[in-house]
Amino acid sequence: MAAADIEQILTRIRSQMDLDREIEHEVLDEIRSHLEEELAIARAQGLDESATLAAAAGRFGVEEVGAELQDVHAGWGTADAVIAAGLPVVCALVLRWLVFAPDGSALGWPQMLSRPALWVIAASALLLPLLKFGRWRYALVAWVFFWAMTMALALWPVYVW
Amino acid sequence: MPLQDQIRKGSTEILILKLLAEEPMYGYQISHELQRRSGGYFEMKEGLLYPTLHRMAHDGLLKSEWREAGTARRRKYYAITEKGHRALSEQIKEWHTFIGNLLQVLDVPAGAKTPG
Repeated sequence: MAAADIEQILTRIRSQMDLDREIEHEVLDEIRSHLEEELAIARAQGLDESATLAAAAGRFGVEEVGAELQDVHAGWGTADAVIAAGLPVVCALVLRWLVFAPDGSALGWPQMLSRPALWVIAASALLLPLLKFGRWRYALVAWVFFWAMTMALALWPVYVW
Repeated sequence: MPLQDQIRKGSTEILILKLLAEEPMYGYQISHELQRRSGGYFEMKEGLLYPTLHRMAHDGLLKSEWREAGTARRRKYYAITEKGHRALSEQIKEWHTFIGNLLQVLDVPAGAKTPG
């Protein structure tokens, strides 16, 4: 019964969050651990378990705590947003500069693929967001954006010109 | 929000830093310890405690790790970082200045007993 009560509280908190599964799992695990601790103490003191959990849910402010935790983990600062959006663009621009020879003619993919700089930039476009945000999902989205920008900046001018 | 709640909310971070400067603690322990040491005055609701802990960890003031606590139970312990220690020193100075100036403006000598 108590375990079901705890799950019910966690479900209500979860309903206010929309985070990475990994973060959400850790946040809820911590709250579960807290509630189980309260329950263990209540049991030891012979108190009513349901009343203990109801009081704990009240102190958590179930809906509010979910929304607050969502803000903490999902809220990006301005610097984060600039890095997330700007880094793939900067990498793509650097790559575009490498694609073209000094006289403005395109080098072509075979030559470009043989350049170590290409791989360094491609790896940076993946690893820097990963190190900054610590989440593969964000890093992969940034990486896809980087390649899309690269295609747009490197290939499109070749066809147009 | 009542004045007492505003003051409590404003002092949440410094109280957490002070406790964790002594030893790493987990959420329930922080809440319980704070209440015990203040004779029940600082009753930190979990709805405020956990978002604050997570925000402080996000800001690099705290670090956390899971530890086993008996059978099938784990606890997430928080510890203060170097940045947290520096923030604590600054906040203590800030509170000291604030309280000193407040009492001066209110014309209450420091250490005087409050009415009532």
